Amino acid sequence: MKKIAFALAAAGIFVTAGLGHADTLADVKARGTLKCGVSQGLAGFSAKDDKGQWSGFDVDFCRAVAAAIFDDASKVEYVPLSADARFPALQKGEIDLLSRNSTWTMQREADLKLLFAAVSYYDGQGFLVPVAKKVDTALELDKSKVCTQSGTTSVGNARDFFKQNNMALELIELPTVDEVVKAYDEGKCDVLTTDVSQLYALRLRLAKPADYIVLPDVISKEPLGPVVRQGDDVWLNAVKWSFYALLNAEELGISQATLEQALKSQKPDVQRFVGTDGSYGEQLGLTKDWAVRIVKNVGNYGEVFERNIGTQSKLGIPRGINQLWSAGGIQYAPPIR
Amino acid sequence: MRLRMTGAALAAASVAILAALSFSAADAQVRPPATLGSQIVDVPEKPGYVPSAEEEQLDPAFRRQPVYFRTNEAPGTIIIHTNERFLYFVQGDNRALRYGIGVGRDGFQWAGLQKVSRKAEWPDWTPPPEMIQRQPYLPRWMAGGPGNPMGAAALYLGSTVYRIHGTNMPDTIGMAVSSGCFRLINPDVQDLFNRVPVGTKVVIRQAPEL
Repeated sequence: MKKIAFALAAAGIFVTAGLGHADTLADVKARGTLKCGVSQGLAGFSAKDDKGQWSGFDVDFCRAVAAAIFDDASKVEYVPLSADARFPALQKGEIDLLSRNSTWTMQREADLKLLFAAVSYYDGQGFLVPVAKKVDTALELDKSKVCTQSGTTSVGNARDFFKQNNMALELIELPTVDEVVKAYDEGKCDVLTTDVSQLYALRLRLAKPADYIVLPDVISKEPLGPVVRQGDDVWLNAVKWSFYALLNAEELGISQATLEQALKSQKPDVQRFVGTDGSYGEQLGLTKDWAVRIVKNVGNYGEVFERNIGTQSKLGIPRGINQLWSAGGIQYAPPIR
Repeated sequence: MRLRMTGAALAAASVAILAALSFSAADAQVRPPATLGSQIVDVPEKPGYVPSAEEEQLDPAFRRQPVYFRTNEAPGTIIIHTNERFLYFVQGDNRALRYGIGVGRDGFQWAGLQKVSRKAEWPDWTPPPEMIQRQPYLPRWMAGGPGNPMGAAALYLGSTVYRIHGTNMPDTIGMAVSSGCFRLINPDVQDLFNRVPVGTKVVIRQAPEL
C-alpha cells in the first residue's frame, strides 16, 4: 500500500514538472472550490434558477466531486460553456472538470487529448411520435415525415436506419432546434428525431406534451460522461471513482435515507464503501469517508437520476438502459476493494 | 519502477474484476426506489368490495407497459423486483412488459427461483390463520368472483404458499402490505394469465441488505 502511494506521489511530481499543471486535485484543494464546466442551460441536466442556483443531473456530478473533496457540495464554481467552447476551456485549464452532456468519442480522446472518466448517462438517438399514431416500435415508421436539426449526426443516423430497414423516409432538416420544435408542433412532420434525452426536454416545449411518446428504440450510441485533461491520473481517479461511488451506493442499497444504517453495517462490501473497513479513499488522495460524503450531500445514482430527469421529474425519462446492470440496464461500476 | 507498478496494479485490477463478475452474477441486487420506503403498511382486506374501472387506472409508472430490459433470462420468464414493485415479463430483444405490483410481508423474506405450478381463474380465498388473527371478522372461506381479494386469477409458485394474484384493492399496487403475496390489478393479472403457461420460470429478486 505504502509503495503504491509512493509511486503515485512520484508520478505526480514527475508529471507536474513536465506539464506545469497536472496536480488538479491539489489545486482544487488549495483553491477551496471545484471549477466545473456545465452547459448554458439544458432542462434536467444543468440549469440555473432565478436565484442563481444551479441544478440538474450534470450539476449533481460536479456537486458529488466537491462533496468527496470538501464534504460540501456547494464548493463548486460553475462555468457555463457552449458546445464550441467546452473542450478548449478544459484544455486551457479554465475548468477542472467538464460535466456537460458530452459524448465520449475516440476523436475527443485521441485528437483533443482529453479523457472521459466514465459514462454517466447512456444516451442515443430516438424518435418522438404522437400517441395517436399508435406506433410501438421505430420499425413501424415507414413513409414518415421526420423532422431533425440539419448539420447534426442525427441526419445520417436517421437515413441509415430507414434504409437498413427498407422504410421510405421524408427527412425535413431545419437549421435550429427552435424551428424543429415549431415545425413539429404545427404538424409539418409526424416524427421528431434527435438524442433521447433531448427528445424528453423538447417534448416539454410542445403545446400538449402528453400527446407524444418517445419510442423505446435507440439507433445510435451517445455515451455521455465527465471529461478531464490527460496527464493527471490522480485527478482522473478521483473523478472516476466519485462516479462509481454513486453507482455502487445504489447497488449496495445505500441512499440518503439508509446512510446511518450503512455506517453500522457488518457487511464487508458496505463497510469498505463507508470506510469503516480499509482506507481506499485515502489511497485516492481523499478521505476515508469520501463515499459517505458523496451520498450524504448528493444521494446515490438512482436518487440523482430520479430527482433531475426520472419519471417523477418534469422530464419523465425512464431509467431504461441507465438502470443498474443487475436490474435490466447496463450501468456497471467496478467494486470498491 | 513505474512500469512494474502499473503492471502489478493492472493484474490486481483484472483479478478484482473477474472476482466481481463471478460473485455478483450469483448475487444480483436491485435498486431501492427513492420514492418508496420498505416499511410494511397494515391495510385490512375488504372482501366483497368491487373496485371501479377508475380505481383500476394506476399511476403511469405502475401501468402495464413495454420497457427496455436487458437480461440473460429467456423470453417468457417472469422476473419480480420486489423492492421496485415491478413484475417483468421478458420478451427478448432487450424488451419486457412491466406490470406494477403490490408485495406482501412474505415478499420481503425470500428471493429465488420458482416455476408456475398451477393456474386458476377467480380462485377461492382461504385467509391464512395470521390474517384471521389480525382481522377476526374475515370469512374463513370465500368463493371466487368479483370482490374476492384473490382477484381474477392466480399463478401458484412451485409447492410454496406464495402466488401471483389479482386484487380487489387497486390502491395497494406499489405498496408493501401486510397480507397478500404479489398482487396485480385484475386486468393485469388476466393479461399475464393469458401469456403465461404452467411451467414458466419465475425469478424473485430482493433489495440488497445493509
